[in-house]
Order: sequence, then structure tokens, then C-alpha cells
Amino acid sequence: MIEKQRDLSLYLPVYLIAIVIYIIAGIVEPVFFTWNNNINLFTRITPLVLAALAQTFVILTGGIDLSIGSIISLTNVVSASLFCLNKLEYITMVLFIVPLLGLATGLINGFIITKGEFSPLIVTLATGAIWQGVALIIMPIPGGEVDLSISRTLTGKIFNLIPFPLLIFLFFIFISYFILKKTEFGRSIYALGGNETIAYESGIACKKIKFMAYGVSGVLGAFTGIFLSAWIFSGDPLVGSPYILNSIAVAVIGGTSLSGGKGGVLGIIGGAYIFLLISNILNLWGISTFYQYVVKGLIIIFALIISAGGLIKLRNFLVSFYFDKIIKNWKGGEQKYYKH
Amino acid sequence: MNRNIINIEDSKIFNFILKNKIIIFLYFSILVLFILGTILSRGFISYDHVLSILRIASFLGIVSMGQTIVILTGGIDLSVGSLITMGNLFTCMFINGINSNTLWVLIVMILLGSLFGSFNGFGIAYLKIPPLVMTLALGSVLTGINLIFTRGAGKGLASPILRYISTGRLFDFISLIILIWAVLSVFFILLLNSFTFGRKIYYIGANEKAAFLSGIKTNLIKTLAYSISGATSSLTGALMAGYTVTAFLGIGNEYILWSITAVVIGGTSLTGGKGGYLGTIAGCILLVLIESILTVAQIPEAGRRIANGLLILILISIYFKKR
Repeated sequence: MIEKQRDLSLYLPVYLIAIVIYIIAGIVEPVFFTWNNNINLFTRITPLVLAALAQTFVILTGGIDLSIGSIISLTNVVSASLFCLNKLEYITMVLFIVPLLGLATGLINGFIITKGEFSPLIVTLATGAIWQGVALIIMPIPGGEVDLSISRTLTGKIFNLIPFPLLIFLFFIFISYFILKKTEFGRSIYALGGNETIAYESGIACKKIKFMAYGVSGVLGAFTGIFLSAWIFSGDPLVGSPYILNSIAVAVIGGTSLSGGKGGVLGIIGGAYIFLLISNILNLWGISTFYQYVVKGLIIIFALIISAGGLIKLRNFLVSFYFDKIIKNWKGGEQKYYKH
Repeated sequence: MNRNIINIEDSKIFNFILKNKIIIFLYFSILVLFILGTILSRGFISYDHVLSILRIASFLGIVSMGQTIVILTGGIDLSVGSLITMGNLFTCMFINGINSNTLWVLIVMILLGSLFGSFNGFGIAYLKIPPLVMTLALGSVLTGINLIFTRGAGKGLASPILRYISTGRLFDFISLIILIWAVLSVFFILLLNSFTFGRKIYYIGANEKAAFLSGIKTNLIKTLAYSISGATSSLTGALMAGYTVTAFLGIGNEYILWSITAVVIGGTSLTGGKGGYLGTIAGCILLVLIESILTVAQIPEAGRRIANGLLILILISIYFKKR
């Protein structure tokens, strides 16, 4: 009950802001509310949601995954080169082999981090460089071809009604929610993200859990890569690089704390919508893409200030700045009193 | 009998080696790499080539100064890339090929860099935003500012004096930029080791709470560390303008990864409080050397990235081995 209330207070602001932004976008451009535009939004949001899910699993353990961009690029390139063979066996192969590849990359990250007790930051930076290199070897320039029927299925509608991307990201969010909240593995992730020493002392195999969390992150990264290859019809060895910042940003806006152990996956859709809709609105207003970098950066900073409880700290800082003199005088007077 | 035996653990030289084994290992491997390069190509160890390696390393070295001090406090600065680009673009734009503009533009660039750096520091120290995301987000803001001011294409030219500073040689013997790097390095190592400010940085990195409780103004020192990082990165961008002559929008991107790599393979721990700039210097030279050897061996871009990644993994597994 308490947990549900806490979750509600965590996710409610995110969705309120997302809805406000959505309505503003609709007022600026009435076409925005049409079903077709929403289908388009579902398609655009799916890779963002999947990448943020991947990042959330790692952030909840108190780590960070900077190699997620390269994992996405690598799996995108591999699945694009398999998709272009255009046979049913190969297509089914993609859906098995590429997630396995993602799992392998994630587990290698997890293995190095847990075995050597290194900082996740530098390890994923290094492995990210390696996966990026491998992706560039497989496909030095954007290329490959994805059969149109596959793309139409993955980004299209089922029974001409329900958009497939919506199903994809709802499915993954449901699965992730289930894993995090209902299984022992998920609860252990929260426990060790909150305080690793206590988690270890209460009998949780921290290293194993961390190792597996990176593995899950890799698998989700692989699904992002597959979806991207279907969406852009081809493979691009650098397609994943924006997702490093974006996945962290969406996870944080969605309510997950970077120090680990706090947050979850339910805020991700709202976070992704905020992130995406703002650049959409700026586009609709005809503002140059140059300003979007500034706006996105400021949004992330603002979200972080709120999520770190920074508004209270800012107020305290300002108060102490203005009332420093008064407090000092008061303290001085007190000391005088004691001297006498 | 016992009095005559010299206890090896008491000897100063032994202690020095033990304390600085990472640095000694690094400089030794630089030597080995030079020999390897000479085997691959005969001109590798020629005076001109060594100078050119040092010249490229000096740009990296100046950025890594700021990165070192930030990592020593236990943070990280991912905004160096955009700050370098900003320094580069604005220097070219303001100098516009005129010598008399050079001095004030350089000063303004340093001030501007430290201003943006202290934004980082304020967010991280006072508002308790995690350094990784704060600097990443400010980097995104700065990229936007760069694009807005230049409309997507660099304008202007570097002045002849700046070009001389970045590429010229003093008395036809040593490059001026290497001298600048050397002078800044000496000052910086002194700052870290002999001044209270430097000692406080180490304390904060080792244990921030204890440092705060023992009366150090941790937030102020941290903010200063980030503003130094901002200043050095934007100075690097300005000096690079002399090297590239015209402005280039993507100039700083590589340096985010490079500067962190140089600091980490220089033996500074990412958790803070351990390491120093002497190792970072070796790390910078090592990185540029390896890049140069890979170029000589004609290895493509993909291979270089893999080699860089492997290098980091191997070196951190050597340094931070569990006992």
C-alpha cells in the first residue's frame, strides 16, 4: 500500500507534465490529436522506450551503461544484414540470434564489472568502443536492406486497427514491470541498488544479480536494434549513439534515481513522451533544430533538479545566502551571552 | 648483526618506486611503444615525429588537466567536448584573423569556459545532481549554443600569432605549445600537491563527508574544480583554433572519451582521491602514440576503436587488481 502510494507520487507528475505538453502540442497544431499522428508517435517512441528500459535495469543497480548505444548499433547492423537475406528462416533467426548477441554483450559488461569490481562507467565506455568497432567492421557505411513486408509488419497495424509498436512497447514494459516487482531477481535489484552492503549481508548474491541485470539490459538493447532496423529499412553503424544520452535522460525523467534503488519502469512512457513531444512542438513552431539541443539539455537539468530534491536545496541555498548575516549576528550574540 | 642489514622497505628509492609504480610502468611502456614504432617504420623515432606526437598530446594534456581535477573529486566531466568546440568556434569568430584581438579573446575564452564550468559545479555541488548527467546535459546545451551562434558553419580565422603559438617552434628547436603544456603542467602539479586547494581536492575525493566535517567548504571546492575544467577545455579549443586555422564544429567530440581515457590509464581512480597529473601526462602521450602506431600500421577506424577499448580494459585490470 505504502509502495503503491510512493509509486503514484513518483509517476503522477511525469504523466501530468506529459499530458499538459500533449495538449499544448494539440492546441498548436490540431492535426496532432488525429489517430494517424498518434500511430506515428507510437512508432517513434518505441526505440526510446526500449533503450530507456535497458538503461533502467542497470541504473536501478546503481550502475550506468554507456555501451547501450553501441549495443543498439551492433544489433541493428547485424539484424539488417540478416533481414536482407529475405527468407522466413532468416527472419526467425534474427529474432533468436540478435537477442542472444545482445545478451552476450550485456553479460560481458556485467562479467567485467562484477569480476573486477571496476567502475561501470569506464568499463561500459571501453566495451562500447569495442562494440562500435565491431559494428563498423560488419558495416562500414550505412547499408543493408530490410524487406518492406517486415518493416510494414513491425511498424504497421494489426487487423488494421491496433498499431504494432504500441503492443511492442507495452509488452516490454509489462514484462519489465513483472520482473522488477514480482520476481526475486527484481526485488534483489532494488535491494542492492539501495544499499549494496546491507543487501549482501541479508543474503543476496549481489554480483550474480548485477551480472544478470546487465544481461537483461543487453537483450533489451538488442530488441531496440531490431526495431530500429525495421523502422529505418536498413542498418547504420552509428544509429545508436544518440540513445546513450536519450536513454539515460528518459529513465531519469521517468522517475528513476541515478544513485540506484529508486524508481521503476512505469514512468518511462511519460518520460519518453515529454522528451519526444518537446522537439515535436519546437518543430511545429518552426524553431530551428539548433535550439532543440539547448531545450533538451535544460529539460534534463530541470528534471534532475526536481528528482534530486534540488528545489528545496536551491531554496535553502538562497535563504542561507540572504540570511547568512542575520544568522551570524544572532550566533555572535549568543556566544557573547555565554562568555559573560 | 641486524643493525648492518639495510631494510629494503625503509629505503627512499624503493618507497618511491612502490608509490609511483603505475607512472613508472606507463613511461616504460611509452619507451617500448617508441621502439615498436621504429620497427614498423624507420622514421618513427626521428626528432620531428616525436615533437609532432608531443604537440598533439599537448592539446589532450591541457584538456585532461581539468578532467584530472574533476575525477579526483570523484566526479566526471562530459561537457569538455562541447566546451572545446565552443572555444574553437568563438575564438575564430572573434579573432577573425587580426593579431591585436588574440590576447583578449584568449582571456575571454578562459573566463567563459570557467563560467560554464561553474554552472556544472553549481548543479553538482549545491543541487546534488549526479555529475555524469549534469555535464552531459550542459554539454547538450552548449552544443545547441554553438550551433545557434554559428548557424551550423564555422566562421572566421585564427590570427598569425595564435597560429604561431599552436604550430610554431621556438628557436627552431621546440614547439611553443609543448612549452606551454610543460609550464601549465608544472603549475598544475604544484597546485595539486603543494597548495591547500589541491590537498582539499584529494580529501573530497577520498571521503566527501569526512572532508566536510573537518571544515572544508566541499561545495565551493567542487565548483572551483569544475570551473577549472571548463577553463582548460575552452582554452584547448582556443589553442586548437591556431592548429586548424578555421573553426570546425565537431572538433571536441573525440576529446570526451580521450580525456577520460587518458586520466584513467594514467592511474587516477574514477572513485576519486587517488592519482595525479603526472600519470595523466603519460596517459596522454601513450594514447597519441598508440594512435600514431595504428596509423603507421594502416589499421582502419573500426580497429582503432576496438584497440582503444581493449587498452582501457587491460590497463584498468592491471591497476585495480584485487588483492
